[in-house]
Amino acid sequence: MSVPLALLVLWTLVPMLITLSISFKSRGEVFSAPALLPPNPTLDAYREVLARSGFRGAAINSLIVGMGTAALTLALAVPAAYAFARFRFRGRHLLLLFTLLPRLIPSLGLMVPYYRFAVALGALDNRLTLVVAFTGTLLPVSVWLLVGFFQQIPREIEEAANVDGTNMFKRIRYIVLPLTVPALITIGLLAFREAWNEFNLVLALTRTPGKRTLPYELWLMQDSTGFANYPAEAAFAVLTLVPFILVYMRIERYVVGGITAGATK
Amino acid sequence: MRGKAARPSRRPWQKPRKLKSNTDAIDLNSLIGHSRITPYILSGPAIIAVSLLLALPVVYAAWGSLFNAEFFGAPPEFAGIQNYINLFTDPDFLWSMSRSAIFILGCLIVGTVLALTFAFALNRAAKRMRFFRAVTIAPYLVSGVAAAVMFKLLFNQDFGQVNQLIEVFGLEGLPWFANPTFAMIVVILAQVWTDLPLSILILLGGLQTIDPSYIDAAKVDGATGWSRAWYVSIPLIAPQLAISTVWLSYGTLTSLGVVLALTGGGPQRATQTLPIELYQTVFVRLETHQALAIVVVVLVLNALLTLGYVRMSRRYDVAR
Repeated sequence: MSVPLALLVLWTLVPMLITLSISFKSRGEVFSAPALLPPNPTLDAYREVLARSGFRGAAINSLIVGMGTAALTLALAVPAAYAFARFRFRGRHLLLLFTLLPRLIPSLGLMVPYYRFAVALGALDNRLTLVVAFTGTLLPVSVWLLVGFFQQIPREIEEAANVDGTNMFKRIRYIVLPLTVPALITIGLLAFREAWNEFNLVLALTRTPGKRTLPYELWLMQDSTGFANYPAEAAFAVLTLVPFILVYMRIERYVVGGITAGATK
Repeated sequence: MRGKAARPSRRPWQKPRKLKSNTDAIDLNSLIGHSRITPYILSGPAIIAVSLLLALPVVYAAWGSLFNAEFFGAPPEFAGIQNYINLFTDPDFLWSMSRSAIFILGCLIVGTVLALTFAFALNRAAKRMRFFRAVTIAPYLVSGVAAAVMFKLLFNQDFGQVNQLIEVFGLEGLPWFANPTFAMIVVILAQVWTDLPLSILILLGGLQTIDPSYIDAAKVDGATGWSRAWYVSIPLIAPQLAISTVWLSYGTLTSLGVVLALTGGGPQRATQTLPIELYQTVFVRLETHQALAIVVVVLVLNALLTLGYVRMSRRYDVAR
C-alpha cells in the first residue's frame, strides 16, 4: 500500500474510529485513558443516548422523513423523467434548467423563505413540511439522473410492447422500471441520505422538541450540556450512521452513483 | 392505431411535421394510451413542485429583501435597497464576508491538494479497489453536524488524538478551539473532510479517461512521476479540476452545520462565516428582511461561482 493510499485511509477513518472509541468509554476514561482502545468498553453512553426522549423522537422523525422524501421524490421524478425521455413537447427545455437549479439554489438560500412560508401556512413542526421541502431540493437532480437512464432503454422494446397492445402505464411498470432498478435505488438512497442528514432546513422548519430530526438534536445536545458528555455525543454521532453502516458494502456502488449525480456532468 | 385517428384532427393550415431523423420517425405520442397532453400530465407535478419549492422562494427572497419592518412583527414597509446598504456598511457583515473568503480559499487549497493526491493514489491502486473506494466515500454519509462532533473530539485540547500526537514529540498541545487561527484551521479540515469524497471521485474519473499512451510517451521521454503528474495528467484533467473546485467552493460557501456545531462562529468571531451571520440575523436577532438580503447576496455569489463553472467547463470541452 503506497503512502498516499495509507494517508487516504487514515484521513477518512481516524475521525470515525476515534469517535467510535470514545463512545465505548466512560466519561472519566475519556480523560484518564486517552488511548484508542477503551480499557473497559462499556455501552453506557449508548444506553444514555437511547434513553433520551430527544433521540428516540428524532430517530423516528428522521426515519419517517427520510423514507417519505425518497418515496415522494421517486413518485414525482419517475413520470416526469419518462416524459422528458420519451416525448417531444413544449417544456422539454426545462430539463436543462433542472441540471443547473440545484447548484444555483442551495438549501442555505431556502432556509429563510421556507421559514416565512411555513409560519404563514402554519406548517412549522410538521414532518410533511420537511418531506415536501427536501423533495423540492432533490427533484431536479433526480429527474435529470433518471432521464439519462430511461434514454438508455431502447425505444424498440417499448414499441414492441406497444404493438402487443400494452398501454403506457403497463410499459412503465413492466419494462422501464425493472430495467432501471439501480437508478431507482440510487435516487432513493440519495433522497434518504439528504433527508437524514439535512441540517439547514430542519433548523428553519422545526422549533419544538420531538419534531426535529437527528442532526438538529445532535447539535442541540452538545450545545445544551453545560458539562460536555463526550461519550454520549460520540455515541449519538455513531448512532446517526447506523442505517448506513448496516448495509454499507451493499449500497456502496449506489452511493458512488448518488455522489457523482449530485454535482458532475 | 389510435394515432391514425388523431392525425386528421391537426388543423389544416399546419404543415405536416418534418421527420428529422430515424428515431423521430416513430412518434411516441401516437403509441397506445398517449395523447398530446400526456407529457404535460406526466411532468406537470414535478415542474409545479420545482417552481413552487425552488423558484418561488428565490423570488420571495429578492422581493422581501426590499422591505423593512420597524420591529419584529410590525407591518413591512418598502425600503428599496436600504437593506443592502445596511449590509455593505455593516462592519459585522463585511467581517463575515472576509471570514467566508478565508474559509473558502483554505478549503479550496487543502481540498484540492488532498483530492489530487488521493485521486492519483487510487488511480494507481490495482488491488482492493473496492475497499479503497468504500473508504473514500464513507464521509459522504456523515452529516455535517456529526462530522463536527468527530473533529471536536479529534482536536480536543485535553484528550484529542492530535494533541496526543503533538505531545509525543515533546511539544505542548495546542488550544485548537480557543485560538482564532487554529479554530479556522480545524473548521477548514472538517469541512474538507465532508466534501472530499465527491472531489476525489470527480478527479479519479478524469484520471481514468486519460489515454495511457500520453503517459507512456512521457515515460519514454524520461519524465519522472512528479513531472508526469504536473505536466501531463493535471493539464489533461483541467475540466474535472474546475468541477471539483466549484463543488468545494459551493459546499464551503453554503456550509452552516459544520461551522455552527464546531465553533458556533467563535472564538472571537474568527469563524463567523456568511451562513453563521445569516443564521444569527434571522433566528437570533429576528431581522427577517435583513436576512433575506443576505440570502440574495449568498445566492448571487453562488450563481457567479456556478456560471464560472459552466463557462470554464465549456471552454475546456471546446479545447479538447
